Amino acid sequence: MTSQRILRIAVWSYIILFFGYLFGPLILMSLTAFNSAAFPRVSPWECFTIEWFDVLRQDDKLMAGLRHSLVIGLGVVLVAVPLGLAGALMLTQVSQRVRPIYYTIVVSPILVPGVVLGISTLIFWDRLGVMFDASYQSWFYDGTFLTIVGQSTFISAYSMLVFIARLQRFDPALEEAALDLGATHVQAFRKVMLPFLKPAIGSAAVLAFLASFENYNTTVFTIVSESTLTTVLASKVRYGINPSISALAVVIVVLTLIGAVAHEVYKRREQAAERAATLEAGGADMATVNKARAGAIGNPAVAVMLLVFVAGLGTVYFAGTVGVDECKVQVTEQKRRLAEERIQALREKRKAQREANQPTTPEARPSSDVKAKGSEGYGGIFAPDNLKGRAGETDPAGETKDEPRADQGLFSPGNLTGQTGADPKDGDPAEDDPEEAQGYQNLFSPNNLREQSGGGQ
Amino acid sequence: MGVIRYFQQFFNRNGLVLSSLLLGAVGFWIVFLIVLPQVFMLDFSFRFNLPPADLGGPKDVYTLSNYEFLMFGSPNNPEPLNVVDLSVFLRTLLAAVFVTLFDLVLCYPIAFYLAKSAQGGYARLMVLSLIVPFWVNEILRAFAFRILFGSTGIINAFLIWIGVLSEPMDFIQADIALYAGLGYAYILLMIFPLYNAIESLDTNQIEAARDMGAPWWRIHWRVVIPFAKPGITSGCTMVFMLSAGALAAPQILGGPSSLWFTQIIYQWFNTGGNWPRGSAYAIVLLVTCIAFVLLMMRLFKVKLGAIGR
Repeated sequence: MTSQRILRIAVWSYIILFFGYLFGPLILMSLTAFNSAAFPRVSPWECFTIEWFDVLRQDDKLMAGLRHSLVIGLGVVLVAVPLGLAGALMLTQVSQRVRPIYYTIVVSPILVPGVVLGISTLIFWDRLGVMFDASYQSWFYDGTFLTIVGQSTFISAYSMLVFIARLQRFDPALEEAALDLGATHVQAFRKVMLPFLKPAIGSAAVLAFLASFENYNTTVFTIVSESTLTTVLASKVRYGINPSISALAVVIVVLTLIGAVAHEVYKRREQAAERAATLEAGGADMATVNKARAGAIGNPAVAVMLLVFVAGLGTVYFAGTVGVDECKVQVTEQKRRLAEERIQALREKRKAQREANQPTTPEARPSSDVKAKGSEGYGGIFAPDNLKGRAGETDPAGETKDEPRADQGLFSPGNLTGQTGADPKDGDPAEDDPEEAQGYQNLFSPNNLREQSGGGQ
Repeated sequence: MGVIRYFQQFFNRNGLVLSSLLLGAVGFWIVFLIVLPQVFMLDFSFRFNLPPADLGGPKDVYTLSNYEFLMFGSPNNPEPLNVVDLSVFLRTLLAAVFVTLFDLVLCYPIAFYLAKSAQGGYARLMVLSLIVPFWVNEILRAFAFRILFGSTGIINAFLIWIGVLSEPMDFIQADIALYAGLGYAYILLMIFPLYNAIESLDTNQIEAARDMGAPWWRIHWRVVIPFAKPGITSGCTMVFMLSAGALAAPQILGGPSSLWFTQIIYQWFNTGGNWPRGSAYAIVLLVTCIAFVLLMMRLFKVKLGAIGR
């Protein structure tokens, strides 16, 4: 009994950990979209804002990429779904002997790395263009065309798998009956096969569009000089991060969730309708049938969820727009005060130290000289000598121990000048994320620095 | 003769219009999208990198120089081998194997739970929440991991808070972010083949083993895993191929000093401007990956036809 319970607890904690791994990064990323800090993060939370969505909307490059992605996605749907359908129908008709070879060939694009597909498409059409002596404006070199073709290579295989799954349930007798009754082949296909495949066509189209929309590996080669949403995103993420990318992620995650919920509701309704139909056919009394049908038509839970969603959206909008500026001013003020306090404390300590140092011989404490030099300008605190001095320092007072540390904090304005030039060894966070330092610079630099040099020594 | 009779049958069965449409579509797909591009890439990888004016001229001859470059580097390379590229290549393969094993270990319990223990609407909810993260763009997923593992990220903040670390650790430099991101990216591709395989196992077999007194780990080792071997193989194959060929995650999550082999290919195409050499590298990647998968299948005695069922 107890071992059973332990096992159950283990299973549950594993499931929770697993889904934490699955959703944790996405949730965190979504949260960063609402933080006013210029670098996407949650831990020092500043102000709740939705300004990053505005930044996102005004990003022309990203929006142009998005439009281009939509066009390409549409093109891929138009190419890949018919190809997949043909491929699946063909599979049901090829002879038993050829089938494994045929299947291997048409499924292989799924396994071939996307990079290889992109490269081969690019080279193939380029060589054809050379052979036909086509101009560089022709479609042999057109990024949109190449991308649609390159993506269709493997997305057709995806949609083919969808059709195969549906075709397995198809009763060939239906088509034969239509043909026996005098329908032409085309008629039988249009009136029997296509209606049967309709749901599969829908899901294959959605799958094809989404697969095209999020593809990067193939697109980055075939797009040539143009850009899609993913290529713009990739270059943005590589060369400079800001939370407007998180804002985009929020939009995508929310759309996905809505899609998933809608799909689930639709499925439930369909099932409920089916159940009602079978009940009715079975001659059940009207009350049961109506009850089953009620499940199909209106679900109060759905209405409540919709309401909660709208209310949540309203709250976010309200909280994200009202009082943000005040909050930001406060945060800036707070940071400034913090920095000032530190500087003040530092100054006092140094003063005390200098007074204490005066009677003792300078040889006894080699660091004091360096310290004095450092205090001339705050940027100098980070001079490499300074660090060395600190390492060799034998500090009798003990209190000065954390003093350079305090200054090393990210918030200090002198940090920037020190870090970029003089401090190669220090593995501070800002070195890893230059964007972050950038963010601080924006917040701090002009006023603060001036104030300091004025009020300094 | 047999071929002609076969086509006659095919046309009789489908009628002229449909038959030509089907043949045309499938033919276009196989010839122009799948086979010819690969053939052209193979051909291109054996050529010199020539300016457009020289293409088709007397200088446009076959050569092995692109493959030689991958093996030995440029002629004035002091080392006997092209150590840089080859070590990136090996590391990519090793890391892909590691990511595959990580995903297998991570997903097996969930797949088993989904297939054998979860019930009804609950299982549906789980499947749905498995799928939802994978409609989020690959780039954005990598970006999420970059936020998570960044030096001001939540993991560093937490580790410092509980006192394990005193300074932020550079997870990106250590490639931990990369492995976590890659493993994350292909979870779904591992779970579904596993799930399909385990689901078709008769639960009575598990119960019989349990009645005979087998401990749970032996039930998995002797009953479930041997049965699910085809599913395990197809999941591993997909994850291995895709993570070896991944480009977005290494570009975003890779440390500055560690390259993925696809990034070298990308460089030959973009900044390097040497397409034939890039295609030679791509061919090497493709062939090695396929050979590796086939070798593993031979080792674990799985037949090719068992994959993808």
